Amino acid sequence: MRKGAEKLISGDKLIAFYKSSVTAGRIMAHRNNDEPSKLREFLDGDLFKGLLPFLGLIVILGVMYYLTDGRIMQPKRVRLLLSQVYYPMIVATGVFFVMTLGSIDFTEGSTLGVASIVISELSFYSIPLAILGGILTGALIGAVNGFFHVKFKLQSFIVTICTMYLFRGVCAYMTTETAIPASASIKALDSDGLKIGITIAVLVVAYFIFKFTRIGNDVKAVGSGETAARFSGVRTDKVKFLTFVAAGALTGLAAFVNVIKVGSITATAGNQLETQILISLVLGGLPITGGAKVRFSNIVVGTLMYTVLNNGLVMLGLEAATQQLIKGIVFLIFVALTIDRKALKVIK
Amino acid sequence: MSVLLRAEHIDKRFGITHAVNDVSIDINAGEVRALIGENGSGKSTFCQMLCGIYTIGGGTFTLDGQVMNVRNQVEANRLGVSIIVQEMGTLSGLTVAENIFLGHEDPFMHYGIKDTRAMIREGQRLLDEYGFNNIRAGAMIDSYNFEDRKLVEIVKATYMKPKILIVDETTTALSQNGRLELYKIMDSVRADGRSVIFISHDLREILERSDTITILRDGEYIDTVNSKDVDEDGLKRLMVGREIGSAYYRTDYGTEISPEVVLSVRDVTVPGQIEDVSFDLHRGEILGFGGLSECGMHEAGKAVFGASLERYGSVTLADGTAINDIPTAIKHSIAYASKDRDNESIILNESIRNNIILPSIDDLAEHHILSGGKLNRFAQEYAEKMQTKMQGIHQFVSDLSGGNKQKVVLARWIGKGSDILVLDSPTRGIDVKVKQAIYALMSELRAQGKSIIMISEEIPELLGMSDRILIMKDGKINGEFKRSESLSEEDLIAKMV
Repeated sequence: MRKGAEKLISGDKLIAFYKSSVTAGRIMAHRNNDEPSKLREFLDGDLFKGLLPFLGLIVILGVMYYLTDGRIMQPKRVRLLLSQVYYPMIVATGVFFVMTLGSIDFTEGSTLGVASIVISELSFYSIPLAILGGILTGALIGAVNGFFHVKFKLQSFIVTICTMYLFRGVCAYMTTETAIPASASIKALDSDGLKIGITIAVLVVAYFIFKFTRIGNDVKAVGSGETAARFSGVRTDKVKFLTFVAAGALTGLAAFVNVIKVGSITATAGNQLETQILISLVLGGLPITGGAKVRFSNIVVGTLMYTVLNNGLVMLGLEAATQQLIKGIVFLIFVALTIDRKALKVIK
Repeated sequence: MSVLLRAEHIDKRFGITHAVNDVSIDINAGEVRALIGENGSGKSTFCQMLCGIYTIGGGTFTLDGQVMNVRNQVEANRLGVSIIVQEMGTLSGLTVAENIFLGHEDPFMHYGIKDTRAMIREGQRLLDEYGFNNIRAGAMIDSYNFEDRKLVEIVKATYMKPKILIVDETTTALSQNGRLELYKIMDSVRADGRSVIFISHDLREILERSDTITILRDGEYIDTVNSKDVDEDGLKRLMVGREIGSAYYRTDYGTEISPEVVLSVRDVTVPGQIEDVSFDLHRGEILGFGGLSECGMHEAGKAVFGASLERYGSVTLADGTAINDIPTAIKHSIAYASKDRDNESIILNESIRNNIILPSIDDLAEHHILSGGKLNRFAQEYAEKMQTKMQGIHQFVSDLSGGNKQKVVLARWIGKGSDILVLDSPTRGIDVKVKQAIYALMSELRAQGKSIIMISEEIPELLGMSDRILIMKDGKINGEFKRSESLSEEDLIAKMV
């Protein structure tokens, strides 16, 4: 049974919300006969697609604010919310580059699990060694993905699903007996300042690479048109391999942030992280086809949106099944609205 | 003569581009009507509205007294309009017969189950009737080459005797034999009292094959003339709206080729494509490569650029640098424009800017850092230098016409300052005005001492532009000609077949 009536969403509010959204839908669907294509053109335009994630974040925040009577904006709630943003945002940054290639990576969850184990074990010797170990573990898994993707010309979709099972298995095997504890000294590092610091540093460096270096440009070029990029002098195989390595390394770094937060690692560490990241980035407006139309803001907006949505649904006291259902619907609507139909092709 | 198709006030906009602007034409029964104009003049858009690929932006098509109101190509087919398109129009993964009857499977359906054997039988009967008996109706379409697939498309578009047959730039994809087959079909459509709308950039072909010619320019109707009453220059004038100078090709003869060799190709073999190809490229020379489309000349261009996937033999520059991969080739001042422009030369889903800067990115970076303003200025400079028709450098290349895409390709290599340019079919599918600009650019580059390898399927272009011509046959070099006024098309053809 659910407890605490104040936590529950009142029936009236749900009905009011439903009514207003139906009205909004009618307004959206209304077509003026004199200008039949203007609205359509705007909805299909790049400007709207670019703004949509920001609008979405505001709408979701607004809706959650309304439904929770403003409780979601209480300082302690905001702090809790932010604490759930750090490591997904770091992971999402790496996956952002993979998806810009037009590829996909399903190994974040299992990578995070394995890297967390390595970090916990090494944390008893030296903290810097533990961090390094985590990053290297992630990079190594990324290298395995990249190697099979590039050398055997397998689609990243297939490769990373296989390696996801593989490393999930490794993670489960190492944690069969008992959960793996981390040292007290690493847990003592847990502070908002450090976590914010690492997250911002990752974002800044990644933004710089994405915007102002050749490798960032090459990643985008491969995503937009791999053959033409190759004929323009881009070493496409190298770019793809390095991107997977970098994504793995970032997940390894995120594992460090995870370990200082949770303190001990169980078989379920990082479970379902890959879908969370994928949903976040798509919510943030990242076209799943990658290429020219990706925006760096996709990472930040998307991760925030997912976390707000997730937290709001929990605060509303909805059952897990209902939460999943609602998340599924929101995800579907966003993919339908943001996907670039002109660039549709199979994910590499 | 009775009017078969009446187009009234046809209009279409794409964003701010007015692709077709209030065009009204009548097409008579029993005529071949050519539709000509430069790239972007609206002729393809016009036809694609007629056959249901695009929705009609405004105006009406009346076919045989009945207003057409079609939502897709299949409905247009049923009313009697079919099209053979410029690029690949068959679907991979289906059999030849399934391609022929795509969208018209009903006669072969029994209670929702397809009678495959009846379909193949009927398909084969049609293929035999057309005289294409080397194509098997039951085979997968993928087992045939581009040309045979085009023939399948011709069957698909014509077997149900359409009232209007649209032939959109199909002939560029066909060899002489294939063209003759297509002409026969066009003639039979005319003889039946039906009509053909014929789009081609080859004005000679237009004059030979059409009865009347309608000229469009920038989406607007200009004029309709009888083919008997005009010549090529007259048509060019109507298309461009001004006099085209006679300096279309180079006019100089007898200039010495510099003895300085800039690139040596020795015993280059690409399995299944080319065999033991050796030649030298001299400074300031335009070296033409000709042959039939499967002769290996396209692969030879790729080999020089280091783009072949499996290659033996050597490609070396004058300073001894070996060219074995694309980044090395680009770094050492080799440029390449592919015949397959949309896949290999440009990134369609990218901006003009990012396409132009891509090979030059290392040169533009300062201490490995890129500055947006500098990249913009670079792209702007070279896009303007090539007189690219665009809304701005951030416009996507996919919006541009074929000629403007090629300008973007050339802009990036001019910007890179490449000394050796490998241009594969540089004027393929490009209109007169841009063609002229490309030839002028080639002459200018040649005068600057740059060397050009020009691979071309157009013999007049080879004769008109090259200092030296190599003809390939079955993957080998089969003949070499020096530039000369007395050199004729027949001389080259004799070495090709």
